[in-house]
Amino acid sequence: MMDSIYLAWRYLNYNKARTAVLVTCITIIAVLPIALEILLNESERQLSLRAQSSPLLIGAKGSALDLVMNSLYFSDEVPETITMDAAQQVMATDLAAPIPLYIRFTARDFPIVGTSLDYFDFRQLKIAQGELFAMLGQCVIGAEVSQKLNLKPGDYIVSSPETLFNIAGVYPLKMKISGVLAPAHSADDLGVFVDITTAWVIHGLGHGHQDVTTTTDSSVILKKEVGNVTANAKLMQYTEITEENIDSFHLHGDPADFPLTAVLAIPYDEKSGTILQGRYLKKEIPYQVVQPKEVIDTLMANIFKIRTVLDAVIMIVATATLLALVLVFSLSLRLREREIDVIFKLGCSRATIARLLSAEIAIIVCMSGLVCAGLLVLISYYDQMLVRNVFM
Amino acid sequence: MFTTSVRFAVLFLILLFSLPLPATAEKKLTVYTVNYPLHYFAERIGGNQINVVFPAPASQDPAFWKPDEAMVREYQKADLIILNGAGYAKWTQKVSLPMLRMVDTSAVFKNTLINVDNDVTHSHGPSGDHSHGGTAFTTWLDFSQAALQAEAIYKALSRKLPETEAVFAQNFEMLKKDLLELDRAMETMSAHKPGLPLFASHPIYQYMARRYNLNLKMLTWEPDEDPGAAQWNHFQGLIQEHKAMWMVWEGEPLPESSTTLMKMGIKSTVFNPCFARPEKGDFLSVMQQNLNNMATVFIK
Repeated sequence: MMDSIYLAWRYLNYNKARTAVLVTCITIIAVLPIALEILLNESERQLSLRAQSSPLLIGAKGSALDLVMNSLYFSDEVPETITMDAAQQVMATDLAAPIPLYIRFTARDFPIVGTSLDYFDFRQLKIAQGELFAMLGQCVIGAEVSQKLNLKPGDYIVSSPETLFNIAGVYPLKMKISGVLAPAHSADDLGVFVDITTAWVIHGLGHGHQDVTTTTDSSVILKKEVGNVTANAKLMQYTEITEENIDSFHLHGDPADFPLTAVLAIPYDEKSGTILQGRYLKKEIPYQVVQPKEVIDTLMANIFKIRTVLDAVIMIVATATLLALVLVFSLSLRLREREIDVIFKLGCSRATIARLLSAEIAIIVCMSGLVCAGLLVLISYYDQMLVRNVFM
Repeated sequence: MFTTSVRFAVLFLILLFSLPLPATAEKKLTVYTVNYPLHYFAERIGGNQINVVFPAPASQDPAFWKPDEAMVREYQKADLIILNGAGYAKWTQKVSLPMLRMVDTSAVFKNTLINVDNDVTHSHGPSGDHSHGGTAFTTWLDFSQAALQAEAIYKALSRKLPETEAVFAQNFEMLKKDLLELDRAMETMSAHKPGLPLFASHPIYQYMARRYNLNLKMLTWEPDEDPGAAQWNHFQGLIQEHKAMWMVWEGEPLPESSTTLMKMGIKSTVFNPCFARPEKGDFLSVMQQNLNNMATVFIK
């Protein structure tokens, strides 16, 4: 038997290209459905886990999926905005604890999550290095942001302009990193967290500049009247909030009217949650309240439908590939007719020839199995990261 | 040998029982406040169930005090942060504090807050004119509002420690009674001479003036500073329009200031807003003294 395996191995080693093609074909057929299963299961786990731990979301009426995906997984699709007043209304009901969310901007391709400190308590996020943000203009970054951009507490990260071509737009804000979160194996690893007020400064609803009522630089003043000073475009606005200029930062308007993308509402008990949901059923209320778990369950049901289709497609492709492999083997036997004839004439029995060919197939299958196992171990190890980067 | 073991056992037990009980230590809430009146209210309601911290130095007006980053982090660690609201302690708008642990004690009457619109506005860019002015913030000088602020503290404490709600309720009722007595006394007193013209040294008595129908003209003088020649000249004009016989100061004025006023026929009295912890007494005794001072204006 060992002789047959040795001869088969030498043959395969001699025909490297053919062997490689066969191993690749078998590996793909085996890996594809299993890898897909692993990744879909992981994405389902991640989606469901986060959705289950987020009781209620309040947002503008519209796509519930966009609202959930933006609020829970920081997706690029920004839902219609609501105002901070919505969070204050929830607080006033005494039925749930509101956590404001404003997820619209990015910093070096990572989402900026404007929220309150309560978010960290709610998600049980721990600080690995540094501290939580304390002053306006500070931020806390997720573990993956820190790793990928090689940033640590004390470094800076700049918010990205929404569009490169809007030269009259808002200045980017240079934010000081006060801390790095410990890995949470969730979307939080990819977030740049700031206080909600800092998010409004990034939006341009607040800013800091020299005091135009006391400045001696007349070139920045367009018009001075009793009770009003009009500054011109030369008035420089600060792009970084420091200890020296923090007093000059101010918001333009009532924070209750400032935008949020959602309010994460945590009911004090089940009954309170039900009452709160009931209050948002009226048509005239411009907000919707959604249970993320329900939205994600619907999404998962659709994904399962797609998975069935994908499984069927994979099965058809696998059958076709297997048939092609059978064809390759039979053609190769025909090509090797003279070679087999020589082996026969040398005194080998037909059974020995059959053993030789079986050994070749067995070696190819084993090699594919090994590659398959290696790939699946890798996919299983990096499944959380793959799901976050590829699927979400 | 036996005696040594017994000694060690006794020593161990003494040490064990001298340590604070963890359950009791854990239950004590840490409550941070932004001014002394709120500190007093919280202490009265919470009693020994809570640990109330008001870290602003006594020498500074807490409305304009700015804590450093280390102190902000201490506030972040508190179980409850009691705010006055009405734009008081503007530093709270420039730092990150946990929203769910903050209590805005004036939220319940936010629609009746008084706007102070004497600030210069400016404009630039597409946002139009805006003012950096604010809201009158000495809300507790209307004692009925002070009672509402105390109620907000009581509710917040009860939510945090529901098992001691009965104690809080009892303490709150006693505090409310004291505050409403002050309210009644002030109301009755001011009714003796309705519309009596008065001057106030500082623009901090808006709520008091509204609640007790005081005909008050407020200046921007400091009790420990000479107003200066320009202000005195300006004041000469004011007394022609507003024929007041009393100036209400937030603190004991300089003798020179009260002498000059006396020469103009204006007497001085003190109504201490009690922003910071008083050197003697507490919020209630200071307010009682304020009422005694006002009695000389309205009754005697």
